Amino acid sequence: MSDRRVFVLGGGISKMAAERPDGNIRDWVVEAVMEAVVDAGVEIADIDHATVSYFSDHFDKQLKQGAIFHDCVGMCPKPNVRVEGGGGTGGLAIRNAYAYIKSGLCDSMIVYGTENMGRHVPSDVAQQFIALASDTDWEVQVAGFYIAYYAMMMRAHMDMYGTKEEQFALVSVKNHRNAIYNEYAQSPMKITVDDVMNSPLITSPYKVLDNCLLSDGASCLIFATEEWAKAHSTSWHRKPRIEMVGTGCGTDYMRLADRPYPYPGIAHFRSKRVASEQAFKMAGIKNPAKELDCFEVHDAYSGVEMVSCEDIGLCGLGQSGKLYEEGYFDLGGELPVNTSGGLIGMGHPVGATGVNQGIEVLKQLRQEVDPRRQAKIINGQGGMDSHGGTGTFVAINIFRRVD
Amino acid sequence: MAKSVFDDPQKTLYPKLPKIADLAPGKDRGLVSTKLHVFKADDPVGPKLHWDPIHRIDQDPWKDFREIMRVEWKMEITYRHCLGKYSKFFIELENKKFLATECPKCGFVWAIPRPVCPDCLAITTWKELPGTGTLASYSISEFVPSFMKVEIPYVLAMVKMDGADSLFTHQLRNWGTDRTKIKTGMPIKVAYTKEPVVHPMLLMWFEPA
Repeated sequence: MSDRRVFVLGGGISKMAAERPDGNIRDWVVEAVMEAVVDAGVEIADIDHATVSYFSDHFDKQLKQGAIFHDCVGMCPKPNVRVEGGGGTGGLAIRNAYAYIKSGLCDSMIVYGTENMGRHVPSDVAQQFIALASDTDWEVQVAGFYIAYYAMMMRAHMDMYGTKEEQFALVSVKNHRNAIYNEYAQSPMKITVDDVMNSPLITSPYKVLDNCLLSDGASCLIFATEEWAKAHSTSWHRKPRIEMVGTGCGTDYMRLADRPYPYPGIAHFRSKRVASEQAFKMAGIKNPAKELDCFEVHDAYSGVEMVSCEDIGLCGLGQSGKLYEEGYFDLGGELPVNTSGGLIGMGHPVGATGVNQGIEVLKQLRQEVDPRRQAKIINGQGGMDSHGGTGTFVAINIFRRVD
Repeated sequence: MAKSVFDDPQKTLYPKLPKIADLAPGKDRGLVSTKLHVFKADDPVGPKLHWDPIHRIDQDPWKDFREIMRVEWKMEITYRHCLGKYSKFFIELENKKFLATECPKCGFVWAIPRPVCPDCLAITTWKELPGTGTLASYSISEFVPSFMKVEIPYVLAMVKMDGADSLFTHQLRNWGTDRTKIKTGMPIKVAYTKEPVVHPMLLMWFEPA
């Protein structure tokens, strides 16, 4: 690989919400871009290239949406490319920015992430659209939908390790709590394990409060080489420098039913193990739990965060339940996970989600977030895990503060 | 200053908008025959921003762009969907036969059939299975999106089919009323419909054996 180094210069977010009728999807992207260029201290005219991160063509019934975002922020006639990998789209878009810059194809890249999933269509129709991201011949026809798949995965985890519902309820409590200190978050809430346990059952073992959110919102990240940043970014000398030092990608069979035993079976995310091994190797990380200061994990459902922590290698297989009880992944714990609030607390506008995670790690490492959700920055390293399907596409990206 | 979500973070961001369908014709809709709604939007971001890159604290930067219109747009789509090289599975369900595919090279039997074994890239052969197996995992849903025509509570099951190496996913029906009787490892069998169904996949389902 080339010796070019890739830095994250800045990020911007347009508020996550259950409904954003104050604007449409292109308005949110523009807002996120306006924040990001201020944060990065750059002029949009200087940026070489764009990557568009959105998942569904159904939600906004607009194909080729990336062309619209691109022209709304004055990026024409410069190059643009769309990346798509379900819920992992944002993480893959960041990986794409890294690859393009690393290869020398461009020196700077802006990533637009967004999704229009709030109340643009009824939540029932939204569930139908999301179900189309499972196998439409074999799974959707038998009334398969995502909560039901994830519930089967968690049932298998419970059978294997004795994981308890109260343990994954703690994930929801933590993520809603972390969201209180994030002004962009959709669902800041102070709740207890009992609140989660007593919320309406959707698909056993998952209750309403175990679920992530359907969200409107957008986010934007700007990447560049050191040389480009020196020439074009006024933030370069003012703000801590954050380098992207590792990226990994993993996949698995679309249908849970086809995955091999014993690992991953239907309890685990093999794709996360593959992706994290690549990313940690690139970043030179040997003991992720000790060497990382914060991690954003794809908490599509509360149990998904637990299992993800295991497969990424932040703890041993089957050990997450106990660690959640001990507050290991809480703010103030050994390794704070989802300080932003994650998909459960901050929101999940699919194409923006992975980009949100990247922004959270950027701002954590710069120590720029609300002090009440600031993780202790000791090693100056943080990571993010973005996944689509039931771990069908995974992108894991690692960032390091290098000042 | 526009109202902020932080005035009450427990509440949803906006007051509930009326359903477009509920709006009265005439005054609310004007000369456009499509259902539409005009309203004043709040600033979704309040003044308590920890970081304020575009100077919201002094003013709402979008104050001249807060009048919003929404219109209803209905689309109906019908597909002529091809079930491809695994069509035989669906064709034989009508004959109450449960087919899988076997790889001639590695011998792996894919319960959800594949014309090609993905491990060997070898063309598979059809193999009839007895239609029995054991429950590998399940979930019980109290809610399903309304486009899915199933009775609630509804059980989605993954079954390790006898004679196959991978699992098969379908509904578990006729499990009675006691949900504690549904247990991982319990014996399962394939049942076939006698009534007309809307999709060939629904010619079968699982039942406790």
